[in-house]
Amino acid sequence: MTGSGKRAGPVVVTESLSKWYGEVIGLNNFNLEIKSGITGIVGPNGSGKSTLFKLMLGLIRPNAGDIRVFGEKPWGNSALHSDIGFCPDYESLPLESTGREYLSLVGHLHAMSGSTLSTRIGEVSDLVGMRHALNRKTGGYSKGMKQRMKIAGALIHDPELLILDEPLSGTDPLVRKELIDLTKSLHREHGHDVIVSSHVLFEIERMTHDVALIYKGRAVASGDISEIRDLIDKHPHSIVIEGDGITALAKALLDQDYAVSVTFNEDRNGMTVQISRPDDFFNGLPALIEGVDCSVSSMYSQDNNLEAIFEYLVGRK
Amino acid sequence: MDLMRTMTGITALTLHSTKKLLLSRKLLITVLVAVFVATVMGYAGSQDVDPLPDGTDLMDALILFFFMPVMAMIFGTSLIRDEIDDKSITHVATAPLDRAYSYIGYYIPLVIVVIVSMVIIDTAGFLAFFAQQGLTSEAVELYLEFTALVTIGAFVYSALFLAVSVAFKKPVFIGLFYAFIWEGFIGSLPGAIQKASVKHYLRSLGSRWVDYGDISSLEGVSSLGDSILVLSLMSVILLVLGAYMFRREEIS
Repeated sequence: MTGSGKRAGPVVVTESLSKWYGEVIGLNNFNLEIKSGITGIVGPNGSGKSTLFKLMLGLIRPNAGDIRVFGEKPWGNSALHSDIGFCPDYESLPLESTGREYLSLVGHLHAMSGSTLSTRIGEVSDLVGMRHALNRKTGGYSKGMKQRMKIAGALIHDPELLILDEPLSGTDPLVRKELIDLTKSLHREHGHDVIVSSHVLFEIERMTHDVALIYKGRAVASGDISEIRDLIDKHPHSIVIEGDGITALAKALLDQDYAVSVTFNEDRNGMTVQISRPDDFFNGLPALIEGVDCSVSSMYSQDNNLEAIFEYLVGRK
Repeated sequence: MDLMRTMTGITALTLHSTKKLLLSRKLLITVLVAVFVATVMGYAGSQDVDPLPDGTDLMDALILFFFMPVMAMIFGTSLIRDEIDDKSITHVATAPLDRAYSYIGYYIPLVIVVIVSMVIIDTAGFLAFFAQQGLTSEAVELYLEFTALVTIGAFVYSALFLAVSVAFKKPVFIGLFYAFIWEGFIGSLPGAIQKASVKHYLRSLGSRWVDYGDISSLEGVSSLGDSILVLSLMSVILLVLGAYMFRREEIS
């Protein structure tokens, strides 16, 4: 029960790939190479992650450029699906079927049958921890159980490549941890190449260090996550500080070389500080507050979201 | 080996889709139509009528003429389109089975369910009428003849409405237009124009088999050979066309 994962060359290669839906651009001149292992695709909602996956699966055809999965074009190439397992981010389970019936259907569609299929259903349901719920209708599953069953469906034919589209979406923290552990074990212990997407960077970071960042249909950065973190750290972060006596704090901050600018709010009870090195700022702030004897009631980041980071990375800020 | 893989996939999809259709709420429509037809024919059967000609006209008008295309439209226009719209088609679209073959796995269940529905409606109407007027051997023969006609109709109309469900984003509107306006109106006009409807060829077949009622003495009917040829060709062409369109359909 292992994906072979031993093909030479990259798993996915795209060259100048573009896909648009009418006037809406899904992917725009998209270039990316995904190697064997676990690769995280990170981007805000609507950035083009699902479009990329649909192109990898041949569910939609490119308008321009080229995409290859294991060296083959996916559009019109149903045989390639023998090597790919797909767990979509949307509800796709037949709700009137039991988990066993669903896995049996998917297995049969992959030309499996008889004892081979029965054994495999047992194996994948054990792997995702769903054996106890095999005979229950999927319509009664919780969100986490549905995610697991979709992953089981993607694994049933033991594919080389697993594509998991936002597998953690809508799940509680405990289930998230279990799914993250499962994703890691699918590669480490079972040999599958995994491409997994999320709009939350730190979740992907817990699964892999190989990431590609997508924003507005373009691959804005790819490689080791530490390099991308360095890029992010160069981003002038905006921090809002509110409280009493913060004018003195502002003066103290402007003496620090990591402070780019300070802008007061209209009521002068708050200010927005732009900083270049977040770590230095957060480490030094307690001492500064103590030194000027001010009272800080709240502090938050204005751009603590991926959108701001992506806009910075593509040079819009 | 490839043939075995394909057959395994088609069989699995056929069983899954058949079960899904038979357990769907749409089957309630079949029950309601059967009750309606049984009520109308039951009332007619309680009156002073000439059993075989009047019973034949009722089955012709209610079952073959009206509800045959309507029931095929209800089941056919939604089958694939609903799965594309609610994305439950993903496991089929990501299987290593050519979508042209997957299409067969939708067509066969549709034919089965349309036949089951029409036989239920046909039987309900027949029993409601002839149980009162006498279940003679002629009446049973009439029942079997209409059952054969709706079975043939199920193959043709299923091919038509399944292709419509792939070709259009809102197939139900096209289906309603075809079932009610085209088949209901064009198929009733005098002259050669009625040959542009499926119903014309089904009734042409019926006119060769049925010995009672208006259908037995229709004017301008097509020959037995022409009817079989047109219905067969239409089914095959629509099936191939639908499979081609399904293969080229983007699942987004």
